Amino acid sequence: MVKFYENSFSYDYQWPAVTLAYFLRYPNPYSKHVVSSDTLSSHLDSRTGNLHVTRLHLKRGKLPASVARFLPKIKESYILEKSIVDVKNQRLETETRNLDWEGVLSVVESQVYTPGSDSTTSEPEAATGAGKTDVRTIVRFESRLGGAARNTQSDGLAGEEVRGGWFSNWTTGSVQRSVELVGMRRMREGFGRRREGMKVVLEQLRETGFVGVIREQRQGGWERWKQVWRGEGVERMDD
Amino acid sequence: MSSSLAPECSEKKERYDTCFIKWYSEKYLRGEGSTNECEGLFKEYKSCLDAALKQKGIHSMIEEARKTSPNNDNAKGLK
Repeated sequence: MVKFYENSFSYDYQWPAVTLAYFLRYPNPYSKHVVSSDTLSSHLDSRTGNLHVTRLHLKRGKLPASVARFLPKIKESYILEKSIVDVKNQRLETETRNLDWEGVLSVVESQVYTPGSDSTTSEPEAATGAGKTDVRTIVRFESRLGGAARNTQSDGLAGEEVRGGWFSNWTTGSVQRSVELVGMRRMREGFGRRREGMKVVLEQLRETGFVGVIREQRQGGWERWKQVWRGEGVERMDD
Repeated sequence: MSSSLAPECSEKKERYDTCFIKWYSEKYLRGEGSTNECEGLFKEYKSCLDAALKQKGIHSMIEEARKTSPNNDNAKGLK
């Protein structure tokens, strides 16, 4: 059973800043569940000039009860993130996927970051360093309970949409549906948090540059700073 | 800076991360990053990390995931 979720969003920052924030986004006040973040490879393609980066994030969090029934032991999960930066064409493509509960629910999120369509036309905006960055997100869910894992290679992430009912031969439908619903709901919640996390990093980047961001992250000063900025706390960060 | 999965690699990771971010923002984004200057620091960090990944058994999981990725680097390039 495969489901797709699509979403478009714009950041009020220029593309270079957004891509920098992308690499700098952990830790932030909204990412307390992210335990660690490591770079597995970083490669500059000399032919294209594109930068390929692979990172591994470890996230902590209890699974919802309906999923935990099948995976009682999992309290943390590994996320593999691949990014390709094409600086010439100002395009950042990312793909993140969960590694360790793939047998139950595979979630692959693909994002494309490009300069906002209106950011190049408005000269006053460009002059003041404003501008926008568009983010297009496609999340691909696949639950595999009771059925054979399908080869995902040929499905084609972009463009092709597969809605419910595509596979008619799945047997444990209600279980799969509940797993997927939970996955969807959590993903929507996660979207909001990650966006807020990116905004915090972007704001800090604008004020103090990356040196300031790194210093703040090292000192764990985000809490203090967040309260000043938003005037509120973030309650749920455990998933 | 985020922590490393392997606490013993944190220092090496921090040195590399700082180098990478500096290179990325000051050179690469400005079209001047024809070589990745942080390669040496990355190798140090990477050898520490690889040992930890193998020990934790994560290594094979990553390799497997890379192979089955629907958005494989080789299969789908940038347009």
